Amino acid sequence: MALTLTCPVCGKRNGYEFRYGGEDKGPRPAEKGLTPRSWCDYVHMNKCVAGIQKEWWYHKDGCGSWFTTHRDTVRNLEVNEPEAPK
Amino acid sequence: MVLNFSEQGTPMLGLAKKRIWKYNFMKSSYDAVIIGGGLHGLATAYYLAKEHGMNDVAILEKRFIGFGGAGRNTAIVRANQRTQYNVPLYKEALDLWPVLTRELDFNLMFNNCGNLNLLHSEAAMKTARMNISTAQFHGVESHLLDAKQTKEMEPALNISEDMTYPIHGAMYHPPGGVVRHDAVVWGLAKGATKLGVHIHQQTEATAIHTENGKISGVSTSGGRINTPRVLVSAGGYSAGIIFRMLGVKLPISVLTIQAMVTQPLKPLFNHVVSSGAYHAYANQTLKGEIATGAHMDPWPNYTTQTTAYYIKHQAEALSEFLPCLRGVKFMRIWGGLADMTPDMAPIMDGNDPVEGFYMDCGWGYFGFKSCSVVGKYMAEFMAEGNCPGILKPFHLRRCEQHRLMGETAALVNYSPDN
Amino acid sequence: MNRLNHLPTLRINPSEKRSLTYRGKSYWGFAGDTVATALFANGVRVFGRSLKYHRPRGLYSLDGECSNTCMQVDGIPNVRTENTPLKEGMRVKGQNVKGSAQFDWMGFMDKLDWLMPAGFYYRTMHKPAAVWPIAMKQVRKAAGLGTLSPDFEMKGLFDEIYPTADICVIGGGVAGMRAALAAAESGLRIILLEARPHLGGCFDYRVSPYNDDKKLYERARELADQVRQKDNIRVFTHTSMVGAYNNNLITAFQVGKEQDEFDERYIEIRAVSVVVATGCIERPLLFEHNEKPGVMQVGCAHRLAHTYGLLPGEQAVFSVGHDLGLEAAVDLFDLGLKIPCVADIRKDGQDPRLLMALVERRIPLLNGWVAAKVHGGKQVKKVTLTTVEGTVRRMIPCDLLVASAGLTPVNGPLTLAHAKLVYDSHTGYFLPTDLPEKMFAAGRMTGRNHPLSIEASGRLAGLQAAASYGVNNKTALAEAETALSGLPGPERGCKLVTAPVKGRKTFICFDEDTTVKNIKQAIDMGFDVPELIKRFTSAGTGPGQGGIPGHNLPLYVAQYTASTTPPKPTTVRPPLVPTFLATYAGTNHDMCKRTPVHDAQVKAGGIFRRIGVWQRARYFSGDFDCREDILNVRNNVGLLDASTLGKFRIHGPEALKALQRVYVSDMSKIKEGRIKYSAMCNDDGCVIDDGVVVKTGENDYYFTTSTGRACVTVEWIRYHTRFDGWDFHLVNLTDAMGVVNISGPNARKVLEKVADADVSNVAFPFAGYREFTVKGLIPVRAMRLGFVGELSYELHIPSSWMPAIWDILEEAGREFGIRNFGVEAQNVLRMEKGHIILGQESEQRTNLLDLGLGFLWDRTKNEAKTVGAVALRQAEADPGRLTLVGIQMEDNARAPKDGSIIVDDRVRGYVCTARKSFTTGEAVGMALVESQLSDIGARLDIFEDECNGRLLYARVVSMPFYDPEGQRMKI
Repeated sequence: MALTLTCPVCGKRNGYEFRYGGEDKGPRPAEKGLTPRSWCDYVHMNKCVAGIQKEWWYHKDGCGSWFTTHRDTVRNLEVNEPEAPK
Repeated sequence: MVLNFSEQGTPMLGLAKKRIWKYNFMKSSYDAVIIGGGLHGLATAYYLAKEHGMNDVAILEKRFIGFGGAGRNTAIVRANQRTQYNVPLYKEALDLWPVLTRELDFNLMFNNCGNLNLLHSEAAMKTARMNISTAQFHGVESHLLDAKQTKEMEPALNISEDMTYPIHGAMYHPPGGVVRHDAVVWGLAKGATKLGVHIHQQTEATAIHTENGKISGVSTSGGRINTPRVLVSAGGYSAGIIFRMLGVKLPISVLTIQAMVTQPLKPLFNHVVSSGAYHAYANQTLKGEIATGAHMDPWPNYTTQTTAYYIKHQAEALSEFLPCLRGVKFMRIWGGLADMTPDMAPIMDGNDPVEGFYMDCGWGYFGFKSCSVVGKYMAEFMAEGNCPGILKPFHLRRCEQHRLMGETAALVNYSPDN
Repeated sequence: MNRLNHLPTLRINPSEKRSLTYRGKSYWGFAGDTVATALFANGVRVFGRSLKYHRPRGLYSLDGECSNTCMQVDGIPNVRTENTPLKEGMRVKGQNVKGSAQFDWMGFMDKLDWLMPAGFYYRTMHKPAAVWPIAMKQVRKAAGLGTLSPDFEMKGLFDEIYPTADICVIGGGVAGMRAALAAAESGLRIILLEARPHLGGCFDYRVSPYNDDKKLYERARELADQVRQKDNIRVFTHTSMVGAYNNNLITAFQVGKEQDEFDERYIEIRAVSVVVATGCIERPLLFEHNEKPGVMQVGCAHRLAHTYGLLPGEQAVFSVGHDLGLEAAVDLFDLGLKIPCVADIRKDGQDPRLLMALVERRIPLLNGWVAAKVHGGKQVKKVTLTTVEGTVRRMIPCDLLVASAGLTPVNGPLTLAHAKLVYDSHTGYFLPTDLPEKMFAAGRMTGRNHPLSIEASGRLAGLQAAASYGVNNKTALAEAETALSGLPGPERGCKLVTAPVKGRKTFICFDEDTTVKNIKQAIDMGFDVPELIKRFTSAGTGPGQGGIPGHNLPLYVAQYTASTTPPKPTTVRPPLVPTFLATYAGTNHDMCKRTPVHDAQVKAGGIFRRIGVWQRARYFSGDFDCREDILNVRNNVGLLDASTLGKFRIHGPEALKALQRVYVSDMSKIKEGRIKYSAMCNDDGCVIDDGVVVKTGENDYYFTTSTGRACVTVEWIRYHTRFDGWDFHLVNLTDAMGVVNISGPNARKVLEKVADADVSNVAFPFAGYREFTVKGLIPVRAMRLGFVGELSYELHIPSSWMPAIWDILEEAGREFGIRNFGVEAQNVLRMEKGHIILGQESEQRTNLLDLGLGFLWDRTKNEAKTVGAVALRQAEADPGRLTLVGIQMEDNARAPKDGSIIVDDRVRGYVCTARKSFTTGEAVGMALVESQLSDIGARLDIFEDECNGRLLYARVVSMPFYDPEGQRMKI
């Protein structure tokens, strides 16, 4: 496998320039009302999708931006955002 | 050469026409269904039948038994882990290899060569001392060696200062070694089916059914099965299956891990050599190949593809601490899946959040060395319904209780959370 | 042996001799020879012995699909001599032999095959248990081929290059060359890889007519000239492609020519599009003793003659299944080989011109016949031929059997690129159904064998690749498609799987000595999938991998199991050609960082250690206890290079918000001119970093992190603010700034001499931050800290000034006894003060409260959503966590070793750092223990490694151990 990723600033680059930042779970929840379980769900729990997932990446050996992209975890290939089911 | 005689008293050649494990047709209900025909599933089934009289058990395997991690790992066994939760577990696992060889009447080829874990700094020596003390406290043999002693054990090692991470010493663990992984798969399959367990290959579980918060059955590509108990022990595929079929998320990231072998050589190494700093291990198989590996690309994948990056990295690393290997050729590299947890400890739990549902996953790259003992205790768990004490620390809820297991001292690097 | 020196196709240079030694004798070969062809020329026929049965093995192919000719060359094991170029002075040895390849004492093993059915080792040698360790030793000795000495040093230069290409063409035969030429027409940058030392592929050694005025080899050389004349085609010959990865990343290695500077080099190519034109190898013919020396594939025999000038035998029988076999027979006959007959598996379908040529030469052709068995000891003496149905047999004397069942495409590159292969019943090949994006296949591997079809398919693939790159070549493409469709298509392949034999000595895999009989045994035992058979019998897992069994194994399994589904190939894995670790490792540069004052510390006798990416001075004292270094800091003054610390500037209107997010303290309370010590936690509340923050201006902060965090801090802060869109800028100054730590009671005296500012205790008190210059020139950011427990200044200086200020301070400090100290001395000094080093007094699961740093945490800033705060609140009341405590030994004679564990009936904690303090004379340290044992005065039982049950005892005491009131750092 040889992953390439498309950085919004630097364009398509070798995947090893980037660092993975987890499944996209949305913004940081407010502290109020967080239970241990809902906190844990945000911090640790994953869906482990075998297929296309939206995820965070950081261009560590480049511009230093965090961005989201879609990747097929079965083929380890960046893919276009899938169309929403109608 | 020693000849082995089968029960009928004929030389083993008579066995050539015999299947090693049996085929059965799928029934519409079982006492328990195990998803995943890997080592953990096979071992659990074997012990359910052998120790608990539960032989009405079906193993569902999407491909063929031993296709996943069972057939892709490099089969290193040891009991020199860091915590007191792990050491006794893995010690018992080590003790089980000769027992299983006898029980299954199948040569698992335990090569008790011992493990040398190289240490490349004062800090690493300290960390190793903690592992060694913990091992010795639990009656497991493990010693700290200096660089010279290490070289005497394994003359091919480079102990000069002229390398990225000079060798300061090693953690030497005589009871460890290597087991033939395929033999364990086939031996357990033989043992389990002999006791009545059904193995269904080419059969994919497609759904897990619940009724009133209890497990009621499993749908498969070969039809529906009614059952009150389901164990998911599908290695790297477990977390995805559990979320997809039950909506339960796990603190797991599934990563591709790679290993490779060189062309076969006459005996060169006498131990399993591993190095944390170089991120590599190497040992010589009974066939003479140098088996080596360790790297994971730090992002989730279900691919078993390998990388150009890694085979090169591995060559660079081995060139430094085992420089004679520069004259050897890599012959084959392959990938497998490792389901990693934040604390590098597995998740073994049951009846949470669904009654009759059991999981045995998150093993990362420790799944092989633990399979026998975990099979034994997961079987007890499933048969009795209560978690055996030795498995209790590995429960699912430890993350939300902020009680990580401490098997790894350093932070893991496959999630942003460090 | 006389060479056929007159042949125009030769690739050896008979005027340049090369010597080699084998079995104590000197031999000659020529430049252009391989090691094996040179040995063959000198009469060597048995090159090695097989793995299990020690069967003699000879030259079978010339492309290294099997280990038959693997030998020990210059101490290197498993060298495939058949395609290793001969170099002057090579020393060659046989391997896996007791005696020699010709006379091997282990030869009797061949008679013991009945003892070793498929998978026999799983079912033997384990009863009684005591037998196994002894048997295992014998198994180990018997296994393995070559021998490697533990002190072996690989000689030579190993290079690496990383070219990019618009199109990479794999295979330099005519299809590949035509593809490269076609793609090059539009000006794209092409890389062409060829495994053999020269371009030309299967045309290179053939003298059949290409057209009316050219022979095949002439056509190949003509194309090769055209390729060389193109500036935009970069040709790598003697370059084996070994890996193909997503997005067309291709890896290969090149073997250097005699005049090249490198011996081998690793090549990693990032290409936009790829054309695979790797051609075919031959599918081995399965019959009894099918790998005996004297049995050779068609291409091998043909190339021995035409490429190396060596007649492969005297009297040869051919047993073949394709026209290349007939062509070779005709051609070799003309060179002087006697051919009693040619057996063709096919009953019809041969090229009429070849049939005519055989007739003209009076070579009898047996249609529908095949070799069933060869006879002879170490070499072929006779062959039994049979009809494919096995009804009639005939024995013919010969010293050479040229055998080949058919062809098999080299589709490893396609498989690695995840093309799905499906069995094609017309060609009998596994052919790709879907090719990966921007990858194209051409030439013989697609089943086309007509020279014009091969070329046309190459041209088409080249144009397709150019189009996929983005070139608009519709017209040319359409023309090429039309041209190809008018030419002969894929040819019908020979389907015979095995001669009609029982298979006890019919080897489906040479390297692992796996016979057809073994495969049957495995299937009978329940291993009915090729992939499982491979594991159980080890067929295809030897040095040649699937080269020999890759095609035959699935075909045979499908036939034996009478499977209704088409055969499925076994997995092909990289590297496609076994590759030296030395080659993969390449130049193997260790990329470490050195601080700006590295050299000065080397001069001062520093002993360096790799710490993360850095080389750091760990010791200066002769003894590793660092006694002198430590006492000098306590009594005089010491100088420490702390340049590896992470250093950052964060500024902008919302910089403070970002700091509030990641630091546990209330960062709005930072006072100008003062330093603030704080910590960062992860979401588990576990401490990941500590350091100081200073405010250097409005919305402008400068902060430090630990060495290990320097490379991830920007990422960390941006990660945890990624949804907020805050306006701040973050700059990593780690490499831009160096840090000198000057510590000890005389520190001020030294600084006073050089600083252009008042550094008195009043003007620059403890925990202060000042900016000034040294010697009117060097800008300094100075912090008064107390990590080691003495009067101490941390000076942050632009890296370029570091060597200068280091000299200035050493000079100024000489009268006060200044000397360097290293990381280990600092480690002890700070331990005596009870200051922690993350990773040493903490582990992954240690949170802020466990470390007694709860005072840093501001609980009121909920709105900041501080990383770790939620977890800290939730874990606060949890008893039994590991907590950091100070310990003092009951017996002050010595401290326990770091990493000793604290026990009762179970493990309760461990010693992080402990030393017998040179300063206080007490054996003290820090330990992480379960909180129930953390009360002052609690007695701890310490279990050290190798203590044999003799425990050490300590008490929990309060910290710090040294100067508890903290007077000394405030003087």
